[in-house]
Amino acid sequence: MSEFDAIVIGAGNGGLTAAAALQRGGAKTLLLERHNIPGGCATSFVRGEFEFEVALHQLSGLGTEDKPFIMRKVFNELGVMDKVEFVQEGELYRMIVVDEFDITLPASWSGIRNTLIENFPQEEEGVVGFMELCEQVTMESFMGLPQARKMNSEKMLNTNCKNYVKYGLRDAKSVLDEFFDDEQIKTLLAAYWCYLGMPPKDCNFCDLAVMLYAYGVFKPWHIKGGSQALSSALLESFLEAGGEVRFNCSVDAITTDQSGEKPKVTGVVTENGDSISCSQIISNASSVVTFGDLLDTPVLPSGISQDFKSRDLGTSAFCLYLGIDCTPEKLGIKNASTFISNTMDEELMHDTMSTMNPPVATMLTCYNVDDPSFAPPGKSQLSLLCLQYGSVWEDVPVEDYAETKYHFAEHLIEQAEQVFPGIRDHIEEVEVATPLTMMRYLNTPGGAIYGFQQNPEDGPLHRERYDQVSGLHLAGSWQGMGGFQPTYMVGVSTAKAVLKKVRQNKTTQESEAEVANV
Amino acid sequence: MSNSISNSNNTSAKNAGNAKTNILENIVGYSEGVERKRAREKTGSDFSQEKWKTSNDIAKLHPKRLQLKVAEVIQDTPSTKTFRLVSTGAILPPFQAGQYINLYVNINGVETARPYAISSCPTHRADPENGYYDLTVKLVDGGFVTNYLLHNVEVGQQFSATSPMGTFYHNPLFHGDKLVFLAGGSGGAPARAMIESVLNRGLKIDFHLIYGNSYENDVIFEDTFRELAEKHDNFHLTEVISRPTEGYSGRTGHLNAELITDVIGSVEGKTFYVCGPTPFNEFCEDQLTSLGVQGKHIRIECNGPPKTPSCLENWPSVVSEQDEVRVKVQGKGEFIAKVGEPLLNSLERNGYTVENACRSGECSLCRVKVIEGEVFNPPEARLRKSDETFGWTHSCVAFPTTDIEILY
Repeated sequence: MSEFDAIVIGAGNGGLTAAAALQRGGAKTLLLERHNIPGGCATSFVRGEFEFEVALHQLSGLGTEDKPFIMRKVFNELGVMDKVEFVQEGELYRMIVVDEFDITLPASWSGIRNTLIENFPQEEEGVVGFMELCEQVTMESFMGLPQARKMNSEKMLNTNCKNYVKYGLRDAKSVLDEFFDDEQIKTLLAAYWCYLGMPPKDCNFCDLAVMLYAYGVFKPWHIKGGSQALSSALLESFLEAGGEVRFNCSVDAITTDQSGEKPKVTGVVTENGDSISCSQIISNASSVVTFGDLLDTPVLPSGISQDFKSRDLGTSAFCLYLGIDCTPEKLGIKNASTFISNTMDEELMHDTMSTMNPPVATMLTCYNVDDPSFAPPGKSQLSLLCLQYGSVWEDVPVEDYAETKYHFAEHLIEQAEQVFPGIRDHIEEVEVATPLTMMRYLNTPGGAIYGFQQNPEDGPLHRERYDQVSGLHLAGSWQGMGGFQPTYMVGVSTAKAVLKKVRQNKTTQESEAEVANV
Repeated sequence: MSNSISNSNNTSAKNAGNAKTNILENIVGYSEGVERKRAREKTGSDFSQEKWKTSNDIAKLHPKRLQLKVAEVIQDTPSTKTFRLVSTGAILPPFQAGQYINLYVNINGVETARPYAISSCPTHRADPENGYYDLTVKLVDGGFVTNYLLHNVEVGQQFSATSPMGTFYHNPLFHGDKLVFLAGGSGGAPARAMIESVLNRGLKIDFHLIYGNSYENDVIFEDTFRELAEKHDNFHLTEVISRPTEGYSGRTGHLNAELITDVIGSVEGKTFYVCGPTPFNEFCEDQLTSLGVQGKHIRIECNGPPKTPSCLENWPSVVSEQDEVRVKVQGKGEFIAKVGEPLLNSLERNGYTVENACRSGECSLCRVKVIEGEVFNPPEARLRKSDETFGWTHSCVAFPTTDIEILY
């Protein structure tokens, strides 16, 4: 008999939701986490009087109480809806391209339409058509497409998903070019590519469309107390249901029985040398670490190797966490999310991410705009973030690391100060996170924050779920999309699949026991 | 297969290329994606050339543990020794001058640890043969660990430690280039690292050390500081003795506002580092505040749990530090603890191992969840907001004021 029905490796978003769903679903579950705190990305740290939000910029998928969307149901099922408080943001984002435009998109579908038409009257027809398309593609990708695939019906696909068929897998840039002439509106509407990590030329239109529509209709949200509050709530729910957790306990190996055709999970070995048996493992670690480092098979299972060969590591990020001794208004910051750019050329932005050159695009987030409790009275916390690939930092000699990171941080402050002068004089606390910091805390190759690169051929239609090792499942950003909503959801869906297996096993064992008794 | 999504995913991928059954080929761009994916499979890497690359890369900067050996013991003053530690494993990781390591010790069977600031300059760490960290330890009256280190440790002895940590260092993003370090006693240790780091790197920083000590014959790094001040125009030293012998001609007294003003003039545009015993730190902070220095320009090194928590605000009046309570560790056992002893210390005394580093409430490595009962959290405890909601505490500075049950 195994000690646990299931072991979850890693208490990130995918691991926490998986563990809570498993334990609440009746599976005896052990959650193992290398760090001292649950959350992975969804965490916080304290400096002076500030508790800094590490990673959550805008939570999607929640919807309002009147118009709820899927994440309310998910959080409800996980038992955390009454443990956390969500704060709605008033705007999608303000985008400032220096010397070009400064436009704020409200968190309202009709409001976005009006703002766009007001600023780009000559593009009215394009605006109406484009937004209609975003809505249709989103609906089809959630409803018609899964149905058509389930039935394997070409007719259903062509009838119920005609917009998706025509536009879903095209690159976002070509679709923007089709609807608009003005470069400014294209840049404005493509701003969310930074949540995917690939520029419009290299990402699927459907991913951009879904984000615009979902944030516009279901609003962007924060969590009171930061994403750490939700991570801690998920852990609490897991513990309440009888789950067992070990912190400061990394996994050194996933052990398998290799006598059959397919390796079969038998348990894990922890950093302390403890062997713990189970037949189901959900790994919230990256696929590269899970299969490459932890799995005890002598070589990578061939299907995994083939998949990995067609992948590239996704982007990491460089982030400054600033505790400021004044209110956001004093600095002129009016929105939670401001995208600041010195160019409208997204490919230049993306190319810069592979270098130590000063970033040409920075995301400024100020959580205090919608929630003053994010800092002591009269103060505020800001984060300045640019996407950057980890490989450039892996080449920095360790003795130059601190100097290099401060030097690079200066660039971000300078870029933000073009728009909000005076930030530097108000700094009360600052912490710098480089891609290597992401690597340290997430244990992902290259410090990747969204998993593998999300090229058009890396989406769910082109990729299989790994099933090369019996009993080993991934939950996180490495088999799907990165970001909060996708990783919370994949944890739950993976747990549901595992619960079925656990129940099957139990039934089999019970009937075997009955047979033995007879 | 486990669910419909993976079923259909499988169908699509396995049938890719078979136009009759794969409906996805109807989607514009789908087949091109399949082709691109195939092309990448031929040229890409499966990341298997270097196993554990991520862990190894992280370990160059932040190994979880250092394996150290005492290469030299230097008697600095009657009360103080410097332990020169070399690595018996990988090259010592870099650090920012002012940071500490947490040194693990086993004293009469008790596994515990204490954080000590690295007193040597970061440039001394890198040599693969002779790279070292210096830890400079001053005897604390009745100190469990300092007594052990000063009286029992010899060359050749081995220790493990955390990698360098802490937030007490010069941050060029907002500390500026006029730095004043107010050091008391053992505070000279991180001060030496910071000063040598500035001078060795030739930084354009003006650094003033105001160094307070009780006795003239017990000033750590006295000669080093004097030589450096002699040699470098941008380093200034002011020594202050609070209990001088008769005939002592230097500055005497405490690091009060008057003395600070006299020595450095205006406080404008300067960043102050304060490191010494807790009463020294509190005194200096008051003095600087009275001079109009804003909190953000005063950086104070944390310094262990409060010695007398019962004197602090919100301490439950019905409980005394000498009272005893029962501590139950879920799934592991239970023991009796003194209310006035930090929970981490009583856990260690009773054979429980809890990860820890700063032992001052700051780093959060020693988090435990209080399932039943109450603990007192002093202001040193830098808890997250949600910790209070869900009962997590930092055991290094938490005092159990009732019987408790914890989980970690």
